[in-house]
Amino acid sequence: MSNRRLLCLFVSALVLTPLVGHSQSPRTPTTKQATTARVTFADTIAPIVYANCVTCHRPGEAAPFALISYEDVAKRGALIAKVTESRYMPPWHAEPGYGDFVGERRLTDAQIATIAAWVTQGMPRGDEARMPKVPEFPADGWRLGQPDLILEMPIAFDVPASGPDVFRNFVIPTKLTEDKWVKGIEFRPSARKVVHHALFAQVPGGSRANVDGVDGRPGFGGLSAVGFMDRTDPGLGGWVPGAQPAMFTEGIVSRLPKGSDFLLQVHFHPSGKAEFEKSLIGIYFAENGGQKDLASVQLPAVFGLGAGIDIPPGEKQFTIQDSFTLPGDARVYNAFAHAHYLAKQMKAEATLPDGSTRPLLWIRDWDFNWQDGYSYRKPFILPRGTRIDVTLTYDNSSENPRNPISPPRRAIFGEQSLDEMGTIGFEVEIVNKAEVDAFHAALVSRNKIATDTAGKNGTLGRLLARGLRRNMQQLTIFDRQGNAVTRLGEVGSYSQPAFSPDGSRIAVVKNDPDTDGRDIWAFDIATGKGTAITSDAPQDSAPIWSPDGAYIAYVSDRENANAIVRRASNGSGDEEIIYKQSTGGQMILTDWSADGRFICFWSGETMFVLPLNEDRKPIELGRERGGRFSPDGRLLAFNSNRSGPFQVYVKSLEESTRAASAATPAPPGSQVSDGPSVGGIFWRRDGKELFYLSVQGGQGMMAVDIVGTAPFQTSSPKMLFKLPTPVLAPAQLSNVASPDGQRFIFAVNVTPRKPAQ
Amino acid sequence: MRSSALVIWLFVLSAAVGLAQGDRGRVQLRDLNGRPMTPFTPISRASAVFFVATDCPVSNSYAPEIQRVCRDYGPRGVECSLVYEDVDTHPSAAHLDQLVRTHLQEYGYAGFTAIVDRDRTAAAHVKASITPQVFVIDRSGEIRYRGRIDNLYAALGKTRQQVTSHDLRDALNAVLAGGSVPHPETEALGCFITDPALLRKHDHE
Repeated sequence: MSNRRLLCLFVSALVLTPLVGHSQSPRTPTTKQATTARVTFADTIAPIVYANCVTCHRPGEAAPFALISYEDVAKRGALIAKVTESRYMPPWHAEPGYGDFVGERRLTDAQIATIAAWVTQGMPRGDEARMPKVPEFPADGWRLGQPDLILEMPIAFDVPASGPDVFRNFVIPTKLTEDKWVKGIEFRPSARKVVHHALFAQVPGGSRANVDGVDGRPGFGGLSAVGFMDRTDPGLGGWVPGAQPAMFTEGIVSRLPKGSDFLLQVHFHPSGKAEFEKSLIGIYFAENGGQKDLASVQLPAVFGLGAGIDIPPGEKQFTIQDSFTLPGDARVYNAFAHAHYLAKQMKAEATLPDGSTRPLLWIRDWDFNWQDGYSYRKPFILPRGTRIDVTLTYDNSSENPRNPISPPRRAIFGEQSLDEMGTIGFEVEIVNKAEVDAFHAALVSRNKIATDTAGKNGTLGRLLARGLRRNMQQLTIFDRQGNAVTRLGEVGSYSQPAFSPDGSRIAVVKNDPDTDGRDIWAFDIATGKGTAITSDAPQDSAPIWSPDGAYIAYVSDRENANAIVRRASNGSGDEEIIYKQSTGGQMILTDWSADGRFICFWSGETMFVLPLNEDRKPIELGRERGGRFSPDGRLLAFNSNRSGPFQVYVKSLEESTRAASAATPAPPGSQVSDGPSVGGIFWRRDGKELFYLSVQGGQGMMAVDIVGTAPFQTSSPKMLFKLPTPVLAPAQLSNVASPDGQRFIFAVNVTPRKPAQ
Repeated sequence: MRSSALVIWLFVLSAAVGLAQGDRGRVQLRDLNGRPMTPFTPISRASAVFFVATDCPVSNSYAPEIQRVCRDYGPRGVECSLVYEDVDTHPSAAHLDQLVRTHLQEYGYAGFTAIVDRDRTAAAHVKASITPQVFVIDRSGEIRYRGRIDNLYAALGKTRQQVTSHDLRDALNAVLAGGSVPHPETEALGCFITDPALLRKHDHE
C-alpha cells in the first residue's frame, strides 16, 4: 500500500519550524499518566525518538536539526516535551479513530507522558551500553531504483530568505513520444530546508508557456495550477519531507500523455537564508493501464464549486455539508482533503446500508500547509447504498490566525488564495463491472449539478469573467512617454510581439483559446490587417525577423523535437527547417543578427548562438538568456542571474564565442541595469541607445544611452514608462521597439467587456 | 510548580542570582573579537538586544526582520546586538565561536555585534528564556520592552498569514519619542534557552 497517491502530504511546516516553546509560562506538559519510574535516554527515550523523529530530524533531511545523540535530544528536552504534548510534533493531522492510515506518525499518550517524566527527572542519560542502534537510512540516490524517466527543473528557483511562503509552479516538458502509465514518482528536492511540500500534475505540452517566467523568475505563481480546473483525476500525487518514496498502490497507475508537461508545484517556506531549489523527479512506468476501474469521489463535488461557499467576514462557524450514496460497491484506497486558509474542520463518515457507521477522516484543525493525502492501511469495501457524509467548517473571523486578510473580508468560492473552496475526496475502485457505468454516471451528474448551481448563483460567471480578464490581450504600441498610440487587431490571446526591422509590421504569437493552439501572425501597422503565417497543428512560438524582413523564424514543436523553422513573412511558401533539436528544453529565439549570420536562443538555463553556416552547431555561451546582438554585430546584450536577480549585461560576442569554443571562462560583461530586469532588450538601430524591461514594482521600459563602445560604457538607466499591466513571459521578447527607438509594442492585458480606449 | 522548564531555570537562576540583583551595568560581556560590550547600558539613545541561536528555526526565520529593524532604527540611535544562546556540546570554545561566525555570514548579519553567551551570563541578567527574544533598553539602562519581535507566530507551529502587531518597532518608536511603551512585555515564541550545565551534569553518569 502506498502513501504516495493522491496529494500525499504529511510532514511539512512543522518539520521546518519545529520545537517551539514560549517564554512566559514555561511549564511541564500535563502528565496525566505520569510515570514515577526512572526514565533514561538509553532505555526509553532513544527508542521513541528513533522510531518517530529521526526520519526527518537527521542531517540532510528537512528538519532544522538532528535528534540523534543524547546531547541533541537533551538540550531540547523541554521543548520536545512541550511540542509532543501539544501534538505539534510529530506532525500528523488526522484524528485517531477516523481511519487507519499508512505512515501515521502519532505518539501514544503514554509515550508523551514518558517524555515529560524524563524531562522532569532532569533528563538522565542512562547506560550508554544499552543505547539502541541509530536507525540506518539509505544513502542518497534513487531509493526506488533507476527511474524510467528523470526530469529536472530547467532553471534553479531562488527562494528568498524571508517573507510569506511561496507557492511556485514549474513546467518541465516530458518529451514523451507515446502515452505512458505511471506507477510511481520519486521526488528529490535540492534545498530540503525550505521545500515544504510538492504536488505533481500533468498538463498539455506548452499550455503554460504564456505564464512561465512572467515575473522574470522560473515558473509561475499561484495555488490553482495543480489543484483545480485541470484536475479531472486525482493527479500524480505529491511529496512531503520525511515520506518514504513508494510506488503507487498495487495496480493503480496514472496516465502521462505523450507530449505533456510535468507540472511541479512546490511550497517553499523561507528559512531566514536565501536558497536555490532545483528539483529532480524520477518517474517509474507501468507496463499498461491496469485492470481496475477507478473513480475519484469528491464531497462536495468539484472542490465545492456548487456548495454555496460565501463566508461573511467575522463568521466563525460557516458550515457546508454534502452527502453521496454509493451507486455500487466501492473499495476505498485513499482520502484527501483540500481547502484554503479559512477552513477549520473537515470530517467524513460513512453510514452503511445496515445502519452501522464507519468514520473515514477527521481533520480537526485544518492547516493549508498540510494538504494531506491519506492512504488507508487496509483498503476496505463500502457496499452499494452506503451514504458518505462530509462536513466542512470555516472560520472567517480575525481570531483565526490563518486568516489571510486583516480585517477579514467576505470569502467566496475561487481558486485564488484569498478565495475559499473545500472538499474531501476518495479514490475508490468500482468493484463490480456491472456497476461501473452507473457509478460514473452518478459522479458526472454530481459534477453537473455543482456546475449548474454555480451557474445559477453567479459563481461560474464570476470565475469565467476573471479567467477571461486574465487571458485576453490587445496589441498596443506605446510612445516613449507610455501613451498608447496604436492598437492592433482584435482583443485576443497574444504574446511575444516583435517589430519588423523596418518598423512597419508586427510578428506575434496568437493563441486560439478554443483549441489552445499557438500560431504565428503578422500585422501591418498602417492598415491594422493581420495575416496568419502559420495555421498548423504544431505549437509555434518565439517569432523573430530576418534582418531584411523577408522571413520570420520561430520555434515549432513537432514530434517531440524542437525545430527552428522559417517562413516568408508574407505567409507564402513552405516552412524551412533551420535547425532541429531532439533533446533539451524548449528553445526561445530572441534575435537574428543584422548580418544574418547568427540566431541567438536560450533553452533552460543556457544561452546559445547558432551560426547559420553549414554545420549549424549551437555555441553554448553560459547561464544566460534573452541575448540581443548590437547593430554592428560586435556586442551581445543579455540577461543573467549570476549575482541574484536577473540583470542586463553587455559583452563582446567574439570573445564569448571564442571562450566557448576554447572552453575557457566566458567574459562576464558589463552590467547595464541597476535592478531586477528581464527581457525586452533592444538596441536602437544607430547603436546609441539600449532598452530593456525592469521588473521591480511592475514592469517598466528602461533606456540607457551608450556613451562608449571600447570600453563599453552607458549612462545610468532611466525609466521611460511603466507598462499598464505586466506582459507575459518578458524573457521571451525580441524586437519590442521600432528601429528608431520611438515606438514600443506589447500585448497588454485588457478586460474584454470594456476594451481600453 | 513542578515543571521541566523550572528545572532548567533553577540552573540558570542559581548562576544568575548575584548578577540579577547587582548593578545591571556591571555585567561583563565580550563580543566575538573579545571586545568588552555593554549592550544593557547603551551609549546611544537605546539598545535592542536579540537573543538568538544558530539552530533554532524560529530564531533563524526572523534574521531578515531583525536586520530590517536594525537598518531602520540604527540611524535613529538604536544599537543592535545579537546574543547567541547555543548549547555547545563540543569541548572547545573556538568551535562555537566559529559556528557563530559562519551563522552571521550565512544569515546576512554582517556588521552585527555578536556575543556568545556560553555561560548564560547575559540571559540570566535579563531573564531571557527563549530565542528569539528581544529586549529594548533605554539610555538610563532601564528595560523598556521584553518579548517577541512581532506576532508572526500565533502559536506552536502556527504562523499568521499577516503580521498584525509589530511589537518591537512599536516599542522602539515609543522609547525614541520619549513616550511609554504600549505593551512592555509580550510572550516570545521560539526555542527554550537551555542551561549547558544540565547536560554536563549527565556526562559522567
